[in-house]
Amino acid sequence: MNTAADILFGGLFQGSLYAMMAVGLALVWTTIGVFNFSHGVLMMLGAYVAWQLGAWGLPPFAAFPLAVVLTAGAGWLLQATVVRPLIGRANLVLVVVITTLAAGSLIENGALVVWGPRAKQVPPLLDGNVMIGGIGVSLHQIAIIVVTPVILCALWLFLNRTRLGLALRAVAQNEDASRLVGLNVTVLYALAFGIAAALAALAGIFLGGYRFMTPVMGADPLLKALIVVVFGGISSISGPIFAAYVIGFFEAVCSYYFGLYWTPALLFAALILTLMVRPEGLFSTGRARGLA
Amino acid sequence: MTAARLEDEEAISPASLAGVPRAPGRVSWRREAAAMAVGFALLALAPFVFADSYSRHVLIMVFIYAIVASNWDLSLGYGGVFNFGHIALFGIGVYAYSLLTKLAAMDPWIAMAASGVIAVVAAVVVTIPILRLKGIYIVLVTFGFAQLVMQVILSQSDYTGGTQGLVRIPGLYVFDHNMVRDAKFAYFYIAFGLLVLSTIFLRLFVRSRTGISVVALRDNEEYAVSRGISLVRQRLITLAASAFFTGVAGAFYAAYQRNASVEVFGMSLATIVLSMVLLGGTGTIYGAIVASFVLTIFSEAMADFGAWRPIITALLILAVMLAYPGGIVGMLRSGWTGFAGLSKRAK
Repeated sequence: MNTAADILFGGLFQGSLYAMMAVGLALVWTTIGVFNFSHGVLMMLGAYVAWQLGAWGLPPFAAFPLAVVLTAGAGWLLQATVVRPLIGRANLVLVVVITTLAAGSLIENGALVVWGPRAKQVPPLLDGNVMIGGIGVSLHQIAIIVVTPVILCALWLFLNRTRLGLALRAVAQNEDASRLVGLNVTVLYALAFGIAAALAALAGIFLGGYRFMTPVMGADPLLKALIVVVFGGISSISGPIFAAYVIGFFEAVCSYYFGLYWTPALLFAALILTLMVRPEGLFSTGRARGLA
Repeated sequence: MTAARLEDEEAISPASLAGVPRAPGRVSWRREAAAMAVGFALLALAPFVFADSYSRHVLIMVFIYAIVASNWDLSLGYGGVFNFGHIALFGIGVYAYSLLTKLAAMDPWIAMAASGVIAVVAAVVVTIPILRLKGIYIVLVTFGFAQLVMQVILSQSDYTGGTQGLVRIPGLYVFDHNMVRDAKFAYFYIAFGLLVLSTIFLRLFVRSRTGISVVALRDNEEYAVSRGISLVRQRLITLAASAFFTGVAGAFYAAYQRNASVEVFGMSLATIVLSMVLLGGTGTIYGAIVASFVLTIFSEAMADFGAWRPIITALLILAVMLAYPGGIVGMLRSGWTGFAGLSKRAK
């Protein structure tokens, strides 16, 4: 009973965090066709901005949404400076990898200068602990497990049921045609990046309330999000969400039975096997964006 | 020999090749060999100009970076394979040398060659899963491969030292020459020799028929395949060819630093070397080498700036990438074209 609860809880918790990160990556990939390697840094930025607002005296319920909005602004700015000017270049994917990596390094070291290397923590969403199924868990983690699916559902509804969301998906599927029917592609690019950055900031705030934060805290979540999108296929939003939870559970099971050291190795072995069998991802629908 | 034959083909039908865009094998090989000889001869004199061990150390690091970056250019720039595991091949060289000399007590020079071979084997292993993949998926798998190697090294801490790394790795030797008290004179020439060998190898490769077929696959895969070029074989050859000197450079790095840590697999090293490849301009080999000089010396010159150093470096990378899509070589080329145009108009 204890084992099952441990694995179930660990899988749900990790899966939620991975899903928040991976969806942002997938959104940018499907809309703009680039991979944002500063996504992890945006997550770190969100957590630090939330901490800073809290340090200035704002209560969490005001500081957290404001931090999310500010980070979305940072994402928009990032897109306007290091991604949009490059659209149309022959080796766009590669060049954006390096510009987002460089921009990430810029923000990361900037955070180090502004906030210093000392570990900080943002207040948890909810204080206190409860016993469920024989294990003690914090309410903060439970809040994350409950809030994440709600946010992801809202995103899914936005993308599938609103005109703006449909416009985003239209750009993802056929940019030229979207332009022809009068969609403002530039604004939609900015919107996709902003939403992705907002989701990253939320993940950062979630993680910052659970673990100590450092300027390099985004590196590992970014890596995991990359794995998630490979597993799930990057042509859709729902694929990575399912994959995030699959990987969360995979990690929970592996670290329970094989220990923490071997978990990443097993994860990557599974990743490479998946790609050899299904190069377009486990949950892909087959209409991938270009694959280029 | 192949380069010479190409030269003849060019001589026979100059008209048919006049419209062909710049591609490997366009500059006469004699002219290129002469330019390379002059460049390397000047570089060989550097230790006599810089007698202090610090300047020589910076140059040795430049050479190591230049070897890794220019070999990366082979798979990334010429092959069009977004191989993000290239730095892992370097790390494999570092650890292969360290373990062979420390645990197996192998001769350092033999261990260095063996490290290159091990890196080639690793490159073949990582190429197999990416044979069917394209673009961003190759990035993700090779990235995963690099992380996997790092995790394996971390977990086998009994042999590899885990997060602590390895210390007191045997260095190289040259007869009875004292490698420590010569202000890095011997290490300079070993690193320099490796760079020369690697560069000649890379240029011969990209000018050969194999090299041209690799570029053909990159530029128009369907057409190249329909003309009988095997994607699988050429991709394996490209990745394997880019691995040997990378592994040797890793071995040299371990012998020179005499310690090893998993930081060689980290994102920061990968970012720096990748920016050398892209900053230099892909598909040139020389661009990556020039960019290694520029970035390393630039970074050393700013050692006093502390935390601002990576910020300034990142800004520099962004500025060049945004302004000059072709990198430093593209910048020089457009500068040269502008200059030539001006002087023509002056006439």
